[in-house]
Amino acid sequence: MKVILQVEKLTTTFAGTVPGTRIRACDGIDLVIHEGEFIGLVGESGCGKSTLGRTIVGLEKPSAGRVVFDGVDLATLRGAELRSFRRAIQYIFQDPYATLNPRQTIGEALWEGLSIFGIADQSERTRRARKLLDLVGLQKDAETRYPRELSGGQRQRVSIARALTVEPKLLICDEPVSALDLSIRAQIMNVFLNLQQELGMACLFIAHDLALVRQAAHRTLVMYLGRIVEAGESDSLYHFPAHPYTKALLSAVPNPDPRVERTRQRIVLEGELPSPANPPSGCRFRTRCPISKADCAINDPALHSSSADRVVACHYA
Amino acid sequence: MSSALAPLISARDVSITLFTPTATVFPVDKVSYSVSAGRTLAIVGESGSGKTVLNLAPLGLMPAGVACDVTGSIKLNGREIVGLPEGEMQAVRGREVGVIFQDPLSALNPMRRIGTQIAEVSEHHADLTARAATAHALDLMRLVGIPDASERLRQFPHELSGGMRQRAMIAIAIAAEPKLLIADEPTTALDVTIQAQILDLLKDLQRRLGMGIILITHDIGVVAGMADDVLVMYAGRMAEVGNVEAVLTAPRHPYTQALLNSIPDPASRVGSRFNGLPSAPPDLGSRPKGCPFAPRCEFAMDTCRSARPPLALVKDGSAGHMSACPPKLGQAVLRAAS
Amino acid sequence: MRWLKGAWSEVRQLPKAAWIPVAVFLFIGVFAPWLTPKDPIAQNLLNASQDFSAEHWLGTDHLGRDTLSRLIMAARTSTVAIATVIGLALFIGVTLGAIAGYMRGVVDELVSRVIDVGLSLPSLIVALAVIGVFGTGFWIMIFALALAWWPGYARLSRAVVISIMSQPYIEALRVLGASPARIMILHLLPSALGAVMVYASAEAGVVALAIATLSFLGLGIQPPTPEWGQMLVDALPYMADTPRQVILPGLALTLVVIGFNLLGESITLKRTPRSISKLLLRRRRLQAAIESYQ
Repeated sequence: MKVILQVEKLTTTFAGTVPGTRIRACDGIDLVIHEGEFIGLVGESGCGKSTLGRTIVGLEKPSAGRVVFDGVDLATLRGAELRSFRRAIQYIFQDPYATLNPRQTIGEALWEGLSIFGIADQSERTRRARKLLDLVGLQKDAETRYPRELSGGQRQRVSIARALTVEPKLLICDEPVSALDLSIRAQIMNVFLNLQQELGMACLFIAHDLALVRQAAHRTLVMYLGRIVEAGESDSLYHFPAHPYTKALLSAVPNPDPRVERTRQRIVLEGELPSPANPPSGCRFRTRCPISKADCAINDPALHSSSADRVVACHYA
Repeated sequence: MSSALAPLISARDVSITLFTPTATVFPVDKVSYSVSAGRTLAIVGESGSGKTVLNLAPLGLMPAGVACDVTGSIKLNGREIVGLPEGEMQAVRGREVGVIFQDPLSALNPMRRIGTQIAEVSEHHADLTARAATAHALDLMRLVGIPDASERLRQFPHELSGGMRQRAMIAIAIAAEPKLLIADEPTTALDVTIQAQILDLLKDLQRRLGMGIILITHDIGVVAGMADDVLVMYAGRMAEVGNVEAVLTAPRHPYTQALLNSIPDPASRVGSRFNGLPSAPPDLGSRPKGCPFAPRCEFAMDTCRSARPPLALVKDGSAGHMSACPPKLGQAVLRAAS
Repeated sequence: MRWLKGAWSEVRQLPKAAWIPVAVFLFIGVFAPWLTPKDPIAQNLLNASQDFSAEHWLGTDHLGRDTLSRLIMAARTSTVAIATVIGLALFIGVTLGAIAGYMRGVVDELVSRVIDVGLSLPSLIVALAVIGVFGTGFWIMIFALALAWWPGYARLSRAVVISIMSQPYIEALRVLGASPARIMILHLLPSALGAVMVYASAEAGVVALAIATLSFLGLGIQPPTPEWGQMLVDALPYMADTPRQVILPGLALTLVVIGFNLLGESITLKRTPRSISKLLLRRRRLQAAIESYQ
């Protein structure tokens, strides 16, 4: 399959709270997404998963590395050319309400997207907007309503429809369902699955819920403190995690069956996420790792294949 | 519920009406429950199910300016607290009931040191001197597992991580050694690895202090690990209540079953559809004549829409297992679940 | 159109006392030529300095001109002058403020420093300096006042734009590939303008006073165009005999200034309510928060 997005050694830094320091939110990330592929990106808050997504879409400036989309290095483009090229990557935010202009009706928000895309004819815009509303499962009468009149799930559908106005090839979804109720979550997840399966759209799905990602994504990447620590085929990664962090992450999720939950062995991680401004030496996970040894503090483990279709950044996995 | 002891708190037919400038809403409609010492009741529901209002409104913990009307009876240690004047309610809060909120950052005073905020509660409720209260605060911080407690005592809330803030919040809640702890989504804002730590802490504290816990949550996994009993709420009404094992493994209400069904199944094929519910819950301003869940229910019959199905003990279920779904449908739900 | 409707519904929510004086003033200003009973500039020395009469309701001035007609025409002069000054100041202020807020960096620093200097100088002094350099005349006065008034609008619109720029909906537009011009014109300017218009309406009274002051000093509107400040200065030598010729334009000016201040005050009070009203608003917000929380 054709590679649609290639991220090489991408590093994004922010100014730290202590003057002069830099926080490396993403630290040398490599990532490849093929056409029509559903990729999961999992990690806890502060691991840099959102920063990675925001850097790819151009909301943050990378301090090093390349983002190659559709064979073109985005750093070589400028101004209007960059805007129209990058448009093919769209971003779905966690809080759809904040991403909609409160003074625009749903119809106006969609028409604006279509007019940015270059559809000048109003009747054509109306036709396309209705088609998109239908595609994301909203009624035609949503057009005349304001964001505040809609429920959380409906708003997220609107924000998806608006992203689709510019006919993207890649959707980056940043925790798009974590603010929604469980029963509504499924409806929105199925919209994403539809887009990927019916329209062949590639999707980078950022989430903290491994079970959710396992069911939707072909491949899953696990991030910890700005680095990818494990990546592989979703199903096997979920059932047979290799990295101690992935194991702990999976083990921390409680099982909904009380009989199982009461008896199962859990790995409870000690301590908290170290500050990304001052990451531990060697392996970044070693301060919380149940299997760390002395040399973990000295040697920084690189991502290496541990089995077919699995890469792990751990000396002992 | 199966405890032989008299319940710590028992609520009977609690209904709550909230008045806002634009509308009158009915977030809680005839809800009953009880919790005994050392046991945990989980109240499960989605946003808008009334689970938070049910527990906070009777304690007078609604934001100023919200007029609310509580009817029914809530007995705390044998004392009726519905209709208690605000002055007496203040003594109940903190001393008899501790509360943990979802977002510790907004529940803590940003301008005051953590140690002061904890000490204040013990000083006020346990009648300790200022010095003794500070020493007590230090003990409490060690108890809730805050490392370098003597140093953290002097820090401000924003200097702590989310997990540490929640621990500090718990320390405040248990400072006066209340018999009942209400935890409103205590781990929703936290990462899973931190969530596991906090849940372990709550269980440990419960064992040591013999507290009863009311755990308000939407996370079935948290319920399975923590609770003894569970109350499932939908649109302000009780959908199902009973022993946690009975409700989660042999549900008799289609809403409970749908909630369980919404949890992604690790055995499902990658790329397969997610199970959820169609449309959205009803708004709380309307009080449907029939079962509020009927419009989203795959089992619903005509009688469900015309009359409200009563909460009744389920047939051949475990003790205290009740469902607000006709027995015939309950059996169908059970078959679908297993 | 929707914007106008929104503005109207906002005005309707204010107490009547706050907007009716201004509405009356604007009505008179706009329809003045059809409201004047006599020609406001026709002199008739035989009728000079007459008292109230059926012929001349408010009497005549020292040149025999009908005072009522002159007062009404002066309202028009004021309306036109205030509207042009504020319009011009808004144009300069909102444009510069929005550009500074959007671009940030060096441009922002530069514009902000100019704003600081502008705000630190009293408006009237700036206007006098400009008139001193370019001479007197209606348009020079307008430009002088606009130049003195824009920094306040610029600062406010810069602040509004900065706060909107951090909203995720602007990020969403950037991801859609919206050009800076589109974001600026369709999303930032309307909001900035809306906020500044409120401020401007509160300031209109002060502008009216400044115009009258400059005209009083002979630096603003020139005779024979009727203008309140100028009517005042015309009537000053005859104050002992016909005090009403001084009192009437003074009264008209005072009423207009009070009217605009009332409007401005009630709008600011509505936006940032104090004491009881503030408390009530906070309660309403909390209720809304609870509703969404449930």
